[in-house]
Parts: sequence; structure tokens; C-alpha cells
Amino acid sequence: MLKTNLYERHISLGAKLIEFGGWLMPLHYTNGIISEHLNTRKSSGIFDVSHMGRFMVKGKDSVIFLQKVLTNNAEALQVGESQYTLVQNEKGCVKDDAYLYYFKQNEYLLVVNASNRLKDWQYFKEQSKDLSDVILYDATDDIDMVSLQGPKSKEILLSVLKKGTLPEPLRNKLSIIYIGEVEVLVGRTGYTGEPLCFELFVDKKCSLKVWDTLISAGALPVGLGARDTLRLEANMPLYGHELSESIPVFASHLAKFAVSFSELKGDFIGRKSLLKQFDTFKKIEKKDYSGLKNLPQKQVPFELLDKGVARQGDSIYINGNIIGHVTSGTAVPYWETEGQGISSIFKSSYLLRSICIGLVSSKIWERDIVEIEVRGSRIKAIAMPYFLRNEAPPYARAITAKSLLEKETTAESLENIPLNLEILIKEAISNNHWRQNECINLIPSEMTQSKIVKLLSVFDPSGRYAEHKKIKAFYDSEVFYYQGTEFIFKVETLLKKEMANYLGCRNIEPRVISGQMANAVVFGALVDYLNMDDKKTEPRRIKRVINHHIIKGGHLSAQPMGALKDYVSMDPVTEKPAVTEFPVMQHDPYALDLEKTKEIILQYLPELIIFGRSVILYKEPIKEIKEFIREQNINCLLMYDMAHVLGLSGRFFQEPFKDGADIVTGSTHKTFFGPQRGVIASDYIEPEPGYKFWEAIENRAFPGSVSNHHLGTLIGLLAAVYEMRYFKDSYQKQIINNAKAFAQALSENGLKVAGNPKLHFTQTHQVIIEVGFKNGPEIAVRLEENNIITNFQATAEEEGFTASGAIRMGVAEMTRFGMKEDDFKELAGLMSDLILNYVNIKEKIIAFRQRFLDMQYCFEDKSFEIFLNDLIDEIKK
Amino acid sequence: MDEEIKYTQTYEIIKVSGNKGRVGISKEASDKLGDICLIDLPEIGRIFKKDEEVATIESIKAASDVYNPVDGKVTAINEKLKTKPELISNDPLGNGWIYEIEILDKAQLDLLMNYSAFLKFINQAG
Repeated sequence: MLKTNLYERHISLGAKLIEFGGWLMPLHYTNGIISEHLNTRKSSGIFDVSHMGRFMVKGKDSVIFLQKVLTNNAEALQVGESQYTLVQNEKGCVKDDAYLYYFKQNEYLLVVNASNRLKDWQYFKEQSKDLSDVILYDATDDIDMVSLQGPKSKEILLSVLKKGTLPEPLRNKLSIIYIGEVEVLVGRTGYTGEPLCFELFVDKKCSLKVWDTLISAGALPVGLGARDTLRLEANMPLYGHELSESIPVFASHLAKFAVSFSELKGDFIGRKSLLKQFDTFKKIEKKDYSGLKNLPQKQVPFELLDKGVARQGDSIYINGNIIGHVTSGTAVPYWETEGQGISSIFKSSYLLRSICIGLVSSKIWERDIVEIEVRGSRIKAIAMPYFLRNEAPPYARAITAKSLLEKETTAESLENIPLNLEILIKEAISNNHWRQNECINLIPSEMTQSKIVKLLSVFDPSGRYAEHKKIKAFYDSEVFYYQGTEFIFKVETLLKKEMANYLGCRNIEPRVISGQMANAVVFGALVDYLNMDDKKTEPRRIKRVINHHIIKGGHLSAQPMGALKDYVSMDPVTEKPAVTEFPVMQHDPYALDLEKTKEIILQYLPELIIFGRSVILYKEPIKEIKEFIREQNINCLLMYDMAHVLGLSGRFFQEPFKDGADIVTGSTHKTFFGPQRGVIASDYIEPEPGYKFWEAIENRAFPGSVSNHHLGTLIGLLAAVYEMRYFKDSYQKQIINNAKAFAQALSENGLKVAGNPKLHFTQTHQVIIEVGFKNGPEIAVRLEENNIITNFQATAEEEGFTASGAIRMGVAEMTRFGMKEDDFKELAGLMSDLILNYVNIKEKIIAFRQRFLDMQYCFEDKSFEIFLNDLIDEIKK
Repeated sequence: MDEEIKYTQTYEIIKVSGNKGRVGISKEASDKLGDICLIDLPEIGRIFKKDEEVATIESIKAASDVYNPVDGKVTAINEKLKTKPELISNDPLGNGWIYEIEILDKAQLDLLMNYSAFLKFINQAG
């Protein structure tokens, strides 16, 4: 029997051993499977997985070979990436499942199951015979493999990391690090469902040292027993259970990630049957059961509702008819939790539940109730959507049948409605009082409007329609579809003029009602513009976009998952949206790396570059990029999403059109004074080609995106632009001075402030403090309990917002309420006391706020009071 | 009163006290089973023959049956196991008992093994 290089360690750690795939492996250590499972979910588990097969694939025909024998698209991998893949047979069933790693140029590493290693090896040898340059090498005995999984894994790895950086916080990313003097290849992969997951590849001579180092740093050893319960709870398949040479690939819910029909793959083994399965799979997911013979069964996770433990082979019934059988099943533990939502924490107690995966009729649907024959009696079970969710790092959280079934709510009866309305009014007043009189509001994307702006926003024409369109037959006159719109037309015309004046450009589209919509309109219009001269074929999308990645502070609305989704092409190689992120400086991820940006512009020749971010500390280098693309003669649109900094446009920050932006979008309610709306601006002149793009934007706004463009807030916005134009020099200067003073003071008080100290950390209204991995949510909640409203923010190294290690703040709103540099210094002192020393400052904050209740930079002095009263009286009539 | 512990070839134990016996599983059995997650207890009042299946223990790894060591009538079951089945392995000779029987044929006790004979038996069995 084979033993791994860590065998002696397993013995000394008290492992109970079993034979698995020809290897003598630890089943569990002294504390047992349950405790190892729970440790992995709450802390960090370390697994010796050196028994798995590791094949190196080299040579210039490697990709051709991998494309043929594996289901996924190997060519999509860039160095530093990995993918889940399957080894398929001609029938479209599973010979094995595997992970393909691409750590180093021209060298692929394929990890296969221990029990299939020989079978796979012979098969691969056979399949590579006809290719002239494929070198296959079985490296199983040369490289050891250790898996480190669970919420504390990252801290543990960082504590022993000597050189290099961990892979970016996205699944399947890879990097090379050094633990001591040992080179370790790291992948963010795993078989536990943990959001913080790492698999490490180490030369066999050094694996013992790495294992010992990680154990001393706090990792807890886990055997194959808990490896199996963890993967079952993660609803991940195991060869010999959920996968086999007679089970179709698409019976597994992971197949849609593991199978590619990219043109780059050409014809490959089993393609025809896989395509049939895929078509059926897509239908089944929409409850269309035609073609079911291609995929009669699928894998479904079940939780047992009564006492009993389902095991492999148990039959599954619905209405007395057998519909399949259990492929894996046992009882698994999960931590009990207390608290709700983001405050929910694991207690020190656990519960057990009985779960299984069944290979059952493809007609079974989530929440269907089935019966499983367990040792002679039929036990009810429910088809679960999943057993575990890992989108709130650093923890993977159990989703139980009980919590799923408890979700029903009932509607209120009619007689309670007047009382409910009364409650609503009282609560609205008390919330208003709290936020406006007792809180320090530091959310950088928020603003309070002046009383005049607020009141004007609820006047008639709120509740009206004023659709209008420019008609060329009338020399570009705006034609309205409804009567009674003269006033709002005047307001809109003035708004366009004033806003154009403010931004220093010619054209304004004010009808978009949010910043997100403004971006969607621009992207849609760009697609229209690109296809303007071809009306007969399918319109093509934008070929390539460069933007700020969301994990590096990019706007949601500039992401393929946001407003860009329907407008950007798929990259045929990576099979992902053709979006490339701005490179950032390694020592300061909030700063763009200009030289590398130029390189990627030349490499990708984008059609659109989107500047602007929701975590924005510095000016955007639009001028430099504009010059560069001019020099290189690259035809590319420069867009600046000024959402956060629209109210900073001017000489103290930057002037977008002077710098060379082609299009500016923004929200009117962050640093700007308006109600919540969006805006689009450009400086194109008719008849230059860009003006046709501008007209496409107007068309995408109306009728493309809005019919009613919310006329009430349009009046409020005009009043806000008046305020902004009148007060901008003093307001903008004060904001930037305040932000710098606040950042400086926070830093002096011992907090870690992000950004370049030479610039006093910030050039905008934003200030970011770094509070340590995953501490963001707790500190943001603590600040809120003390009446300081902020938001927690994931930094570029973090796996998701629940693992946030930063607090994002902005000084705009409180600047408007009159706070100056010294006031922000005072606030910084109070906040440091709270954050670092847990001092309760709530009463002090309420008292502090009393000094800043009167809004500045607006017309609210005595001379305007009479008009305010007129507005209120008019509404009360 | 004399208390003695007897072992079966199927790894159960019976702790005899007068004409009553408390049945559980040996430490050696629970080591084989690993973490226990569920037990299906017998009904009070039911009579079981020697070697008849009485209960089922589910561990994370597998299910296994508990065989009745001597003819007897169930007089009590260990209710604590319903919420804490792990007691079966943590405290096999104390709080981890499974059920109590009134022994109907005391002569059958002589067919069971004492601890040293049991150890010998499991070593031979390999």
C-alpha cells in the first residue's frame, strides 16, 4: 500500500488510518470527524491530499491535447488561473473529474482522483500518441499537495508567508509564494465549499516542513472522513458516487462550469453527446421535459426531515414510485448561529442533520418532498437548492431545511391599515430626526438636500408626464406628447443650460433617473452607434472595455454584472466578458498604474475606457490617457463616471472635459446637491460623428429607458444646480481641505488610513481607513450604534464585502452642515477612541451634531425664509 | 450488590446488577464506528431474544446494529441519547448505556466473555 511523505506525521498526530485509492490515509485524527468538520468551518483545516494524481503536461501540442481529452476550455486559462474540468468518455459520461492548474508558462498541472490515476494515465498516454509534441509526466511522487481550508486559512498563510503574494481573492486564481525558503504553488481552490480556500503544491522534500509550519501557525489536521462530509455539505460530487462512466456529465450541476463548447476546442471526445445533454439540461432547468432521454436523471441534494441517515444505494421514492437512489449520504454537523444577517455569528454548539445527494429523475424540483428507504422504513426528505452558501466570506454557512420552510409571511388584515399608516408616519419622523439631528453622516455617496430643493421636488409636476422628443422636421424642436407641460419644459431647458455651464460642456441629458441608468444608456447608445450603418445583421457588442474592477473600487454600474452586462462582447478565448481591469500600483491599489495601463491599451485596443470609481481617492489620469491614445492613433471612447465626484468638478479637483473626457456620467446626489437622479454630458458639436453618438444617447434615454422621467425631482435638481454654481468654489475647496484634515487626524490618532500620505491621503471627499481583514462590518455596526454612519468596504485583497477590512467615509454631507478642518479633527479623535479603545461616544456625537444643524452653501438665510413658507403653505392647501 | 461487565462477540457490553443489566457498546466498538450521530432506541416492555437486533447506531461513516446479549425485557431506555448520542462512545460504561433489561435467563450470561477474554477474542479476530 502507498504512503504519502506525511505518513509519519499522521501517525504522530494520532490518525486512524484507512485504505483509499491504494493509499494508506488518515480517516480522522484524535478528535474525530465531527470536530474536524466543524474546525474547518470555523477555523482552518489542513488536509494531506498528496494521494491525488498529479500529471504535468508540456510541449507545444499541450493545449490541443487538453482540449481533446477534457471538457473545459484549457485555452481560456491565463497563467495564474485554474479550472474545474472533467475527463469524459465518448458517451458523454465521466471517466474522472479533475482540476487543471496553469502556474507557469507552457506547463499545465492536472490533478486527478487517486483511484483513477492509473486508468487516467493509460488513457492520456493513448490519446496523446498521435500528437507530435505532448510530454506527459506523472509528478505524483515528486510534488506533494496540501489543502488549507476555512475562515482562518488566509491569516495562517499570511503569517508564514515570506515572499510573494497570495492569489487575488477570486476562486481559481493562482500565485507562487515562499514559506520559509520553500517555493509553494498556491491555488484558491478546494473541496469543502469554503470561501477562503487554498491548495498548496510543494516539492516532496519540503512538504513536511510546510505541513509543520502551517500546523504551528494554527491549522488543524483533517482526515478523509471530514473531507467527505465537507464536500457533501458543499454539494460537490465524488467519483464513484455522483460521477461514473455511466452517469452523464450534465447530471452534475457543476457541468455547466466544467464543459465548454467554445470554437477553440473544435471537435473533442464526446462532444456530440455532451451537446445533446446540454440542450436537454437547459430545458430541464425551465421545466421543459422534452428530450429527457438524453438526461433522464440528475443529482439533487436532499435533507432528511425525519430521524434516520440515508446511505449510498438507498432507494428514493415519490408517490410510491422509485425515482432514483442515494449516491452519497451521512449526517453532517453545522454550527448553531445567533443574531441576524451580517451580525449573525457561530455559537460554540452544533447540531447534526442528515443529508444526501441522490441521482434521481430529472423532473425533481427544488423543495419537492420525496421518501428515502432507510433500513426498511421510508423517511421524508426535501429537495434542497443547496446545503451551504459561501457568498458571505470568511464563513461558509449551512442552509437547513428548517430555515427554508420557515420563510412564509402573511399579509396584514385591512382594519390594521390606518394604524399601520400612523406607525409609518411616526417612524419616518423619528428616522428623519435621528439622521438629520443626531447622526454624523459619513457615507460618501449620500447628501442631504437643502429645504428648498426638497420642497420643490414634491411640487406639481411631480405626478405628471412630459415625454418629449426632438423632431428634425421642426428644426430640432422638442415636441411634447402631453399638454400642460410648458413649465416643466422651461425647467428642463434651464437645467440643461445650467448643468452644461457647470461641467464646461455643450450637451446634457438630464432625463436618466439614476447614475446606473446613465451608464446603461451610454453603453446601449454606443452599441447603437457602432451598428448605425448596418441595419440587417445582429448588432455587435462593444469589443473590449477597460474599467476599474469592482474589487478594486470600480462602480457596480461599470461592471459586466451591472449595467455593462448586455453591451460588452464575450471574449471567445476566456469565455468571459471582454473586460480588462485597470492595473493598479502594487503599494497603493487606489492609484492607477499609468505605464501598465498604456501597455494593456496597446495589447487590447479597447473601444471604451471607463474612468471613475466608487472608492476614489485621486484624480483620474484622463489627460495622460487621452494624449496617449492620440499619439497611438487609437480610436477609443473615454468615459468618466463621475458619480461620486460630480460635485467636485472644477479647478480644485478636475475638469473632465478640459482633461479630455468624451462622455461624463454622474449621480446628482453624492457630492452634488441634487435629489437622487443621474445625468449624462458630452461636448460633441453637430455635425461631427460624435454628435451622432450623442443623439443615440438621447434616444436611449427616451424612449429607450424612461417614459416618465420623474419631473418633481427635475425641479429640485435645477434648484440644486443653482446652489452648486453659486457656492461651488467655497464648497469644493472646503470639502477637499476637510477630507485631508480628517485623514491626517485619523492617521495621527493611530488608525491606518489608506492612500498616499504625501497627498494627505486623498484628493477627493473620500477617506478610507483599513481596520483589518473581516473587521469592517463589526466596526461599521459599532460606529452606527454610536450614531456615526459609514459603510464597510472590501479592499482589493478581500474575498467579498462580508470580509471587508476597510471603512469608507466621505466628508461632503457634513461639510455642507458647516464642519471645518478642526471639527473633523475633533471627530477623528472621538472615532479613534471608539474604534481602538471601545469608548462609548454616542452622547458626545449627539452633542457634537448640535453644532452642525444649519445647512451651508445654499439659500436658507432670512431673505429666503419667506419663500420656504410660501412653498410649505402651497403644499398644505 | 455485585456488578460485572460482560462482552459479546459483536462488541456489545452488559453491565449486570442483580437480575437487571444495562446494555451498551464497548470502547472497541465505538472506536470502529467513529463519531456517532444518531441512535434508534427500542420500545420499553418489548422482549428480545439473545442476538436479536435491538437498536441501530448511525455514525458519520456507517450504520450498525446493536444485538441483544441475553434474553430479556426492556425496562428502561437512556433518554439522554436522543439529544446526545455521542455519550455512547464518550462514556460507554457510564452515561453511555443504551437500554436496561430484566434478564430472563441468567445462565446465558455464562456464554459471554469477561474483558480479558474479549481482548483475546478481538486480537484473534484480527
